[in-house]
Amino acid sequence: MEAAFGTRNFSNLNSSDSAISHQRWSPYAFNGGTILAVAGEDFAVIAADTRLSEGFAIHTRDYPKTYQLTDKTVLACAGFHGDVLTMTKVMDWRLKMYEHDHHKKMSSSAIAAMLSTMLYYKRFFPYYVYNIIGGLDENGKGCVYSYDPVGSYEREVFRAAGSAGAILQPLLDNQIGFKNQTGVTHVPLSLNKALELVKDVFISAAERDIYTGDSLIINVVTKDGVKVDRFPLRRD
Amino acid sequence: MTERYSFSLTTFSPSGKLVQIEYALAAVASGAPSVGIKATNGVVLATEKKHKSTLYDEHTVHKIETINKNIGMVYSGMGPDYRVLIKQARKLAQQYDLQYSDNIPSGVLVQKVAAVMQEYTQSGGVRPFGVSLLVAGWDEDEERPYLYQCDPSGAYFAWKATAMGKNFVNGKTFLEKRYSDNIELEDAVHTAILTLKESFEGQMTEDNIEVGICNKDGFRRLTPPEVKDYLAAIA
Amino acid sequence: MSIMQYNGSAIIAMTGKDCVAIASDKRFGIQLQTVAMDFQKIFEIGPHLFIGLSGLATDVQTVAQRIQFRKNLYELRENRKVKPDTLMSMVSNLLYERRFGPYFVEPVIAGLNEKTGKPFIASADLIGCSVILEDFAVAGTCTEQMYGMCESLWVPDMSPDALFECISQALMNAVDRDCVSGWGGVVHVIEKDKVTTRHLKARMD
Repeated sequence: MEAAFGTRNFSNLNSSDSAISHQRWSPYAFNGGTILAVAGEDFAVIAADTRLSEGFAIHTRDYPKTYQLTDKTVLACAGFHGDVLTMTKVMDWRLKMYEHDHHKKMSSSAIAAMLSTMLYYKRFFPYYVYNIIGGLDENGKGCVYSYDPVGSYEREVFRAAGSAGAILQPLLDNQIGFKNQTGVTHVPLSLNKALELVKDVFISAAERDIYTGDSLIINVVTKDGVKVDRFPLRRD
Repeated sequence: MTERYSFSLTTFSPSGKLVQIEYALAAVASGAPSVGIKATNGVVLATEKKHKSTLYDEHTVHKIETINKNIGMVYSGMGPDYRVLIKQARKLAQQYDLQYSDNIPSGVLVQKVAAVMQEYTQSGGVRPFGVSLLVAGWDEDEERPYLYQCDPSGAYFAWKATAMGKNFVNGKTFLEKRYSDNIELEDAVHTAILTLKESFEGQMTEDNIEVGICNKDGFRRLTPPEVKDYLAAIA
Repeated sequence: MSIMQYNGSAIIAMTGKDCVAIASDKRFGIQLQTVAMDFQKIFEIGPHLFIGLSGLATDVQTVAQRIQFRKNLYELRENRKVKPDTLMSMVSNLLYERRFGPYFVEPVIAGLNEKTGKPFIASADLIGCSVILEDFAVAGTCTEQMYGMCESLWVPDMSPDALFECISQALMNAVDRDCVSGWGGVVHVIEKDKVTTRHLKARMD
């Protein structure tokens, strides 16, 4: 009970009798979820599963972890859901303020840079969130930005993160990045191939990761806006 | 403490013999006869089980015992010693199963049982076993039957057919005449019973002999009605 | 950091049609420092039988020797070759003998049944809890990556050539996302009448 106030010092409880072990309260939890983004020539695919869980319990089977920020940018978040909610709320507020101040929507690259500063602002009490941004850049080309929880970021072509990130990433390296493939022509990624690949890797991830499953949400960003698609995953 | 001075009772005589083992073999030779025949598709064990009194409940205590699914045994000699070896053999079979998740091959089991019998010829404070064993086995790997004999010295042999115990010389002579390499299990059961009958005193019934068979389905002791049918067929 | 990650390793076994394959990386390192790039982690136990050992390198070598020792004794005593499923039991037994002070290795077995020609793969944890699998088995420091690759690339009834391609791609792309495994690889493809051993050229960083 007193452990909930770990920083306070109750002298009568801090006696020499140390047989009682104290379970320290943690400000963080891990709610699972896997996110993925792929950039094509003139499109971006941002996908996430819809399971929200904690330990062996599933809180809900239907929580999309992707957030449409503008008609050119989608954000995907996994990690501690409490921080995801707060962080996306701050993000929405920042986007609105930018629009008021500059009379235009924020570009994907500007959002990407801003997210980095938002995360680093909480460098010593971080948002426990893995982020990936997918969208179109100023030239209409597909872009993906990936982050660590404290704001280190990088523009990439494809990235998987969250609980099954390690399961997905090597396959993307191989199939999109043509890693360890010799004597093949590096054809540009088509939207159809990207969608097929995303479905395939999520089916594989749901097979082995208990924090990934239920449904797959796929956001496809093109010059015509964002199209959302759904796809069932295993539910056990 | 006591082990330090408990020298082996089995010591060499000046002529190089171990007389304790010879005595053990004498105990075997004066024991009830038992016969084993290896056929093309299985093995049969048969033994005489005469009782001194008609009051015995003759189908309660057995001379033929199973060791595991594929292996069975019979003995000539001293019954109580045989029980010790049965217990050891079953334990060895289970240890093997635990280690390899596989049925112990009859050859390996015989090797291990023989090692136990040898140990009793060289250890302190013990005497050799007063029994010889006949071991019938079906080898799942090679899909063929085996018949082994195991002596008090720890020596073991693989036979096509053999007899032990009282009148074993006559039994073996009879088998030498009757055995053929392509004999089938059904015929072998008859031959085994006939071999016992050679030296059997009095009327042979399903109550005073025991028969066990071993084939691809495993080892089992025949029930008295089954034995009765075989006896009727040879009468 | 766990002792299982001290040296780094990656091992995969896979089944195909009338064939099996087993592959490993070749790195021997001490934490993040690579010491050797030709370290043996897969050992030939019989003509159609291999065992891969992942985990602490010193235990890999010790366990490999002790398995060889027990398998030699078995073959002399029983006058027959050890079967893949028997080897699995032997290894389980060996590891469980050290239940409370374990060897830090996770074995993967791949072989063909000498009599039936049936593919056999199995894996176990460091105290010998074994499982026989139909598709693939992985062990090492990048199991998540290997599971992701295998789960997507593996299909039933692959030919020996397709199986080689599949296991090699699974291994190489998995180890490239792990700092403590990789630095070359070796693949054994086991068929009824031959075993093909190939060494993989891979990223060396």
